Amino acid sequence: MLEFILVSTLNGVVYGLLLFMVSAGLTLIFGMMGVLNFAHASFYMLGAYIAYTVTRHIDFWVGLLVAPVLVAMIGVLVERYLLRRVHSHGHAHELLLTFGLAFIFEELVKLFYGDFPVNYAMPDHLRFAAFTIFDADYPFYRVFIGLVAIAMFVALYLLLSRTRVGLVVRAAERLPVMAEALSHNVPLVFMGVFGVGAGLAGLAGAVAGAFFPTNPNMALELGIIVFVVVVVGGLGSLAGSLVASLMIGVFSSFAVGLDWSLAGLLSYVGLGEWARAVGGLFTLTLSSISGTVPYLLMLIVLLVRPAGLMGERN
Amino acid sequence: MTLVWRFLPLTLVMVVLIGLPPLLDVGLQNVMVNVLIAALFATAFNLLIGQGGMLSFGHAAFYGVGAFAVMHLLVAIERGGLDFPTPLLPLAGAVAGMVVGLFTGYFATIRSGVYFALVTLALAEMLHALAPHWEGLFGGEAGISSMRMPWGGINFGQVIEVYYLTLAWVVIAFGLLYAYTRTPMGRLTLALRDNEERLRFMGYNVHATKVVVFTLSATFAGLAGGLLAFSNEQANYQLFEVHISAQVLLHTFVGGSTVFFGPAIGAVIFTIFAHVIGDITRSWMLYQGVIFILVVLFVPHGIGGVLTEHLRLRTHIPWRRIGRPYAIAATAALLITAASVMIIEFLEALFSPRYFAARRQVDMGFPPFERFGYVWEPFSVLTWLLPLVLGIVGLFLLLRVRHQVAELWSEARESAAAQGRPAP
Repeated sequence: MLEFILVSTLNGVVYGLLLFMVSAGLTLIFGMMGVLNFAHASFYMLGAYIAYTVTRHIDFWVGLLVAPVLVAMIGVLVERYLLRRVHSHGHAHELLLTFGLAFIFEELVKLFYGDFPVNYAMPDHLRFAAFTIFDADYPFYRVFIGLVAIAMFVALYLLLSRTRVGLVVRAAERLPVMAEALSHNVPLVFMGVFGVGAGLAGLAGAVAGAFFPTNPNMALELGIIVFVVVVVGGLGSLAGSLVASLMIGVFSSFAVGLDWSLAGLLSYVGLGEWARAVGGLFTLTLSSISGTVPYLLMLIVLLVRPAGLMGERN
Repeated sequence: MTLVWRFLPLTLVMVVLIGLPPLLDVGLQNVMVNVLIAALFATAFNLLIGQGGMLSFGHAAFYGVGAFAVMHLLVAIERGGLDFPTPLLPLAGAVAGMVVGLFTGYFATIRSGVYFALVTLALAEMLHALAPHWEGLFGGEAGISSMRMPWGGINFGQVIEVYYLTLAWVVIAFGLLYAYTRTPMGRLTLALRDNEERLRFMGYNVHATKVVVFTLSATFAGLAGGLLAFSNEQANYQLFEVHISAQVLLHTFVGGSTVFFGPAIGAVIFTIFAHVIGDITRSWMLYQGVIFILVVLFVPHGIGGVLTEHLRLRTHIPWRRIGRPYAIAATAALLITAASVMIIEFLEALFSPRYFAARRQVDMGFPPFERFGYVWEPFSVLTWLLPLVLGIVGLFLLLRVRHQVAELWSEARESAAAQGRPAP
């Protein structure tokens, strides 16, 4: 039991940190521009595929550097030439545009790489055990994913809170009109934030794609969970999305291994037999419905406290 | 005269819908059934976004719920010997859509804008994640399948019988949905989209209004799902996929969400195209995405919006002078489309597993490939120059006539405004 708890917590924290890497950009972009970017998880996927391509031809580490830069450039182009055009039509059109983009990115990936997972794997010199717990080796690469995420969080935090650029970015987020009146180029700031956000997602994809499967569905699979993270943490709040990522990461890694069910719970008060006879919802185990819980959480947060855990505005 | 003008297109469409199917083969009849269902689904969806101004990303939820309700009833009739008139079966989908819509709509409409979209997305995703594990209600991963039972002398075994039943239901639903736009409630729905705040100030219960609109939209989406289940005789958890919600969104916006029949137009075009082109190319979904983006960028009111604008200003547009630029623009569009299709198809051919296998046979060289009935050399200049030239010529033509068309249009608008017919 202790082994299960320890390993699940570790895996959960790493997965949570990965979620955070992707959601950081999304929450920044939403906080600043009010754009809920449906294509954000596609940047994650593009990062993985670009890194895969570079790894195959050159080297893993080069891929890790090139992927975020390229994805950030794609993000900048998307903001400058597509998003800005529909800005005047309102938020619904921005939402639709990014939605369509997500669609196109997925299909483009299928066009070039096929509708099946590609063999993007970590290099052999990273394939060793970080430490041993309960006779089981814990892969170093998981630790590596976590470290990259933490480094990213620290860098982002320092950038936003300690530098002049961060100051302008925060000003543009809080009061864009005022920042513009003070002769800051707010559209440029938006473009930069969009690019950096996309780049971060690309980095996450490049790092995580080597460990988790890299396939055309990865954007869709992660995308909605990332929305959950951002909503639960509070749209626009970095710290909130860190907490929410860890929460959801740890939860999903625990839920997979638990076969609790409502019937089991009810048997403590003597209703177990009845619940099992009724079946349906009562006998579903936690492991089988673990996919539902994040959405349930998101629904509750949206309905009860739409500002999320740490958001300030509605 | 005006009466004839108003009803002529509708009558023509009805004549085609009733008269055409018996002449088609079974496969195409099936396509027609799907066209009708998609048109109804999109129109039901548009009640929410186009008229009510609420963007839902989870309408697959009601579509799927409607389908499962009909399947359960079918199973009950087949195995339990329940006596229920088969033609009324799709109603079960509508009822299920209504019940679920009322319940979820009550909560979803508490929020608006992006938050509303997220609530609906979460609802559909929850069902999608839950359904494969809930054996009793959704039949697990395999889903539920059953058979339509004969009733009242009709055995519903042939596609054409299913088609006419679907047509009947879709016509009734369109009638009801159109009638709704003419009621005070329908007007209120438009007001909800245009200025919610004002509505609240005038003393209307905005939340209750939203719930009604949401429930109605869910009801007709459920009916569409029910018709689908009736036609396919099976339903599984994939009905709750994001792709279904995305599809209806695409149909609605390409067709034009500001016009009543716009979404139906979009649904018809896309469903038929999917059938025709889906067999020829594997990149159909990519084309669909590109079309969607182009519409969002350049034609925010969709095909329906463009058509009604032409109709509205038909007496003011200088048809004689606009004919030439329109013809040039159409040629340009054709050239650009040809160029894009060629490039995408070439890439598709070059990156396909089949081409990789062909490369293996020639020691990883680059053998010629076949597309559009011709053989192309992957590294010959001609292969890439041809689409490039076509595209550039098209783009050049398009940019040249753009201003002409825009000028003529602003003339037409001015002349309409001078006669006291401002834009709606």
